[in-house]
Amino acid sequence: MKVLSTLFIVACGLSAHAQSIEKLNGDALFGDMQARHIGPALMSGRVSDIEGHPEDSKTIYIGTAGGGVWKSTDGGVMFNPIFDDHCQSIGTVAIDSKDPNNTLWVGTGEVWTRNSTSVGDGIYKTTNGGKTWKKMGLENSDRISAIRIHPDNSDVLFVGVQGALWGPSEERGVYKTSDGGATWEKVFYIDENTGCSELIMDPNNPDILYASFWEHRRTAWSFNSGGDNSALYKSTDGGKTWNKIHNGFPEGTLGRIAIAAAPSNSAILYSVIESEDKKLSGLYRSDDAGASWKHLNADFELVVRPFYFSRIVIHPTNPDIVVKAGFLGSISRDGGKTFRNLGSMHPDIHDIWFDIKDPDKLFVGTDGGLYRSLNLGNTMEIIENLPICQFYHISVDNQEPYNIYGGLQDNGSWFGPSSSPGGVEARDWEVIGVGDGFRVYPHPTKPHIMYSEMQGAENVWRYDSKNRQTRIIKPFPVKGDPKLRFNWNAAITTSLNNPDRLYIGSQFLHVSNDMGNTWTKISPDLTTNDPAKLNQAESGGLSLDNSGAENHCTIFTIAESGLDQNVIWVGTDDGNVQVTQDGGKTWTNTTPNISGLPANTWCYHIEASTFNKGTAYAVFDGHTSNDKNTYCYKTTDFGKTWTSIVTDDVYGFARSFQEDYKNPDLLFLGTEFGLYVTLNGGKNWVKFENNMPATAIHYLEMHKETNDLIMGTHGRGIIILDDVSPLRQVTNDIVTKKLHFMETKPYEMSEESTFGGTSSETQFVGANPYGGAQIIYYLSKRHTFGKMSMKVLDMDGNYVTSLTPGKKKGINIVGWGFSTSVPKVAKGKTITYSGLTAPRAAAGKYKVVIQKGKETYETTVELAYDKNSVFTHEERKKQQDVVWKLYDMMEELAYMVHRLDTYMEHGESMAKENAKLKKTVASMTSEMNALKKTLVITTGDNYVGAAENELREDLGDLYSTIAQYSGAPSSTQMENMQKIQEEMQEARDSMKKIEQKSLKKYLASLSKMELASPELESYEEFVKKD
Amino acid sequence: MKKLALGLFFIVGAFVSNAQEVTVSEILDTYFENTGGREAWNKLDGYSAVASVDAQGMEIPIEMINMKDGRTITKFSLQGKEIVQQAYDGETLWSVSFMTMKPEKGESEDTENHKRSIGEFPDALLNHEKMGYTVALDGEDTKDGVECYKLKLTKKSQLVDGEEMDNIVYYYFDKENFVPIMQEQEIMSGQMKGQVAQTLFSDYQEVDGLYFPFSMTFQTEGGGGQTIQVESMELNPEIDDTVFAFPEE
Repeated sequence: MKVLSTLFIVACGLSAHAQSIEKLNGDALFGDMQARHIGPALMSGRVSDIEGHPEDSKTIYIGTAGGGVWKSTDGGVMFNPIFDDHCQSIGTVAIDSKDPNNTLWVGTGEVWTRNSTSVGDGIYKTTNGGKTWKKMGLENSDRISAIRIHPDNSDVLFVGVQGALWGPSEERGVYKTSDGGATWEKVFYIDENTGCSELIMDPNNPDILYASFWEHRRTAWSFNSGGDNSALYKSTDGGKTWNKIHNGFPEGTLGRIAIAAAPSNSAILYSVIESEDKKLSGLYRSDDAGASWKHLNADFELVVRPFYFSRIVIHPTNPDIVVKAGFLGSISRDGGKTFRNLGSMHPDIHDIWFDIKDPDKLFVGTDGGLYRSLNLGNTMEIIENLPICQFYHISVDNQEPYNIYGGLQDNGSWFGPSSSPGGVEARDWEVIGVGDGFRVYPHPTKPHIMYSEMQGAENVWRYDSKNRQTRIIKPFPVKGDPKLRFNWNAAITTSLNNPDRLYIGSQFLHVSNDMGNTWTKISPDLTTNDPAKLNQAESGGLSLDNSGAENHCTIFTIAESGLDQNVIWVGTDDGNVQVTQDGGKTWTNTTPNISGLPANTWCYHIEASTFNKGTAYAVFDGHTSNDKNTYCYKTTDFGKTWTSIVTDDVYGFARSFQEDYKNPDLLFLGTEFGLYVTLNGGKNWVKFENNMPATAIHYLEMHKETNDLIMGTHGRGIIILDDVSPLRQVTNDIVTKKLHFMETKPYEMSEESTFGGTSSETQFVGANPYGGAQIIYYLSKRHTFGKMSMKVLDMDGNYVTSLTPGKKKGINIVGWGFSTSVPKVAKGKTITYSGLTAPRAAAGKYKVVIQKGKETYETTVELAYDKNSVFTHEERKKQQDVVWKLYDMMEELAYMVHRLDTYMEHGESMAKENAKLKKTVASMTSEMNALKKTLVITTGDNYVGAAENELREDLGDLYSTIAQYSGAPSSTQMENMQKIQEEMQEARDSMKKIEQKSLKKYLASLSKMELASPELESYEEFVKKD
Repeated sequence: MKKLALGLFFIVGAFVSNAQEVTVSEILDTYFENTGGREAWNKLDGYSAVASVDAQGMEIPIEMINMKDGRTITKFSLQGKEIVQQAYDGETLWSVSFMTMKPEKGESEDTENHKRSIGEFPDALLNHEKMGYTVALDGEDTKDGVECYKLKLTKKSQLVDGEEMDNIVYYYFDKENFVPIMQEQEIMSGQMKGQVAQTLFSDYQEVDGLYFPFSMTFQTEGGGGQTIQVESMELNPEIDDTVFAFPEE
């Protein structure tokens, strides 16, 4: 024992080495701080790939455009994310048929190459069904289109690498591994501009492979699909040699090519061709394994946007049933001759998966989530628990709870609350814009006014929710203006200085001081206005695609200083950072002052500091120039000099940034792979990973009142990091202390009803923030040995309640729901639910005491009444007086019943051994039982077999009714109290009578017989709670 | 689950010098050696614990008894009424319905799974080889801010909705002192299927030479939890058979 104690001390002393914030990783710093996901999921987001288990049709995986990989094991009813620690842009998911329960591969990088698509960072493998993943290389593959695993040898895989979208790359083509991914061989390569956009393996012969190659390129201002190198190839020798199989295909340049082999007859192939000759685009079929092809169909759904929809899927048992991805998706039941659209669902269909055991059941991945059909695509139902929507931008208002506003890829503009009774549900969200949604803002002081836009500012709306009026308020060119150029995601912002002001950026900065009715240009063209980048009408390559997505040389970010309305920063998509200090009269391009930044790198966000008007932060995103480095700069002199604040700690290109409002050294950076935090102005960064997936963060906002950090993610909806104020307090000093309490604000005790919650079990419901008080402290070492407890006391040291302390290394957050302690309740046959109510603590300060081993730590926490309360101080006092009176009565009654039980039990046991006592005991017990039956329920159960109420139940009912309402009790309740008090008095009288007569007689008999009297706890001991 | 949780013990003192080369045997040997020794652990026939759960304003008393032969009972007390949450008498797994306050038998699959776990006393790690279980070092991870060794325990299969499924538990041992601070297991059925259930261990204290965690927190990964705080324990208690027995009416 002694040895153990000594060793214990040694163990505890081991971590005495000094700590500093630079050395803390996220796990040891953020502790209990958890990201909170509120979705929404009602409109869901883009599903890029669907893959089913080869034997168990209930297990389904989906890959998403920006929300990672999700798994269902119940036939698609519920899905869980299984890839949160890694790149969330998914190209493909593949299951090893030899070990289908455990071994899966994920190729990252979505292959549906729209302008807003993210990037991948390699191929991953799990051998435990998705619990943990290991990166297996191909880091620079950018986009993986297909993974085909040899059916007889799990170590042999073929991988189609579509490769870089935004530049040339040699990491493209068909790769093979023969050692389970340890090494890779590029077995087929065309050139640095042509990638493998699809790769399939003959279902009956793993040596036969088909690979479609696609020549394509995006720039920030154009897209090109097609080229002389686009082609379909076949290998019959396990990838050693490849031959074009174009017999029957159109001549001339081709674009993207889809290919599929029928599972039931692998000689039957379908291919969808993007061709120079529009008449010959569309569907081709081969019945001889690609030796010859026949053109079948060039309907709209077969030829629409090949870069987005080049997938065709064949029924598992009937080779004549095929489904083509497309704008609406279409199905053929006659071998591809004719098609009809799939049932009604969100447009933009990317993948289809047939249930292997019941092929009438199919799943469809769209821009608006995953759909399921039970009748071969006739009618579709959406899966309602996939919060994978893609926000471009978010903003917040000052309401309580605050609302979050944002626009989504292909899913319009919305606003919804940051919390809601029962959780943030689908019904809480309102639409305030259609098309693709981007910047959405509330009017800073008129909560019923909001602004939204659609792609390319084709429409900019002002919505008045009071009278449900919508007005289009976009600026139009006036005489002498060139064509206005608006980004796909056009910059709009409100003003911190003038609530009716609105800015919008084309190539010019426009300002309105009357909520968008009239506009004034306050700048020259602030972009490079490079004519080479202004030919969007010719964009698309073989299939013209001028959607506005490639609009360029535009203003992308606008930031008016909150400290001086004449200081306005503008960032452009072609790399300019312009600033005016005179409200737009003169502008300075500060970009030449930024060192280390490649020319024309997209300025994604500028943050005007709230501490100093000359200070700003600028975030640049070079990925559309094939540059994935992280760029974030700070200036303190209006852009004369800029300093990089990025370190090697950060992974991924950044798009978003947030400066804390209180601590200028606390900064947040959103990258394509998650959230980074610095506590020291950028000397080092720590990744935040607590319930936080590695998803792309397109916008960061902080709420000034709540100190919440709100993240608009492009794949996982809105994620909130509640109250970051503890991070403001983390210093080198506190991280060396054993335990350090953080300062907290007074906590308001909400008096709102908690009714809510209408969602079904299969619908996503966003979590609410914790509604109680929080005791926050930093532990420099996890508490593992010896006791640790936490108590709440009033300022006089009286016990209020106990809480469970957190013990982890880092920040611990312990919630206190404002409850004191429940009353001691009389023991009956059943439970009385009213006795589970604890009175709410009164406003004021409370001591919180942590006992940790031999050491005691103490802090105070302050509670405040709801500032929106409808109750007066007097009403509240009346409620508290009555509640505590009833509380005491509950405990008095409990003690009365306890005494009766004690006496009766004692009597019964004594009478068993002493016959002489039988009569006295029988008489006493009879009287006592008669009384007890009026005090508590002695029959029945806790459900519908409940007995009639007795005093305990009536008293408890009144107690809990009054305890749950912070205002004064009603006159009816007070009348009821009068009645109960009288009944209580009757009980006291009866008890007294029994104690004075039959109990006294019993005790006298015991004394006479020299037998022990019953031992009875004192009232104080009986009701003691600490 | 409760039994598993409570059956975890404590270690102090011995530290493996070269963390790079640590093996499963070294971790487990050190752990058992310093918690009282394998011999002492194997002599343990049962234990009882008095504990409580804090439910914001209410401390719910709990009593747990676990015996080497698999008999077990966990009951909590509400307003003086005792409610058996789970018990096993050697044949029947049972609990008390909160609605009727009457005993009800556990579902046959749950009973079968409980029977398969007999021998995991006081925890599956102690005699895992005898049980035919395997333990492997599955890398390292950080839990509760602490760098840990991750051990993967593969047990006998379990029945889940009629099918034989893998039965895997991960243990996280603090690298600094070889104490298990967390256990993880995948939830295999129901609405939460696929999520990870975690049990956190702390407040290790010595009872007659053996070390037990006096605090156990049950939570889902990233979610809220419930803590059982042990107040006292008794080793090798004398317990009447009737305590575990399914009360026939």
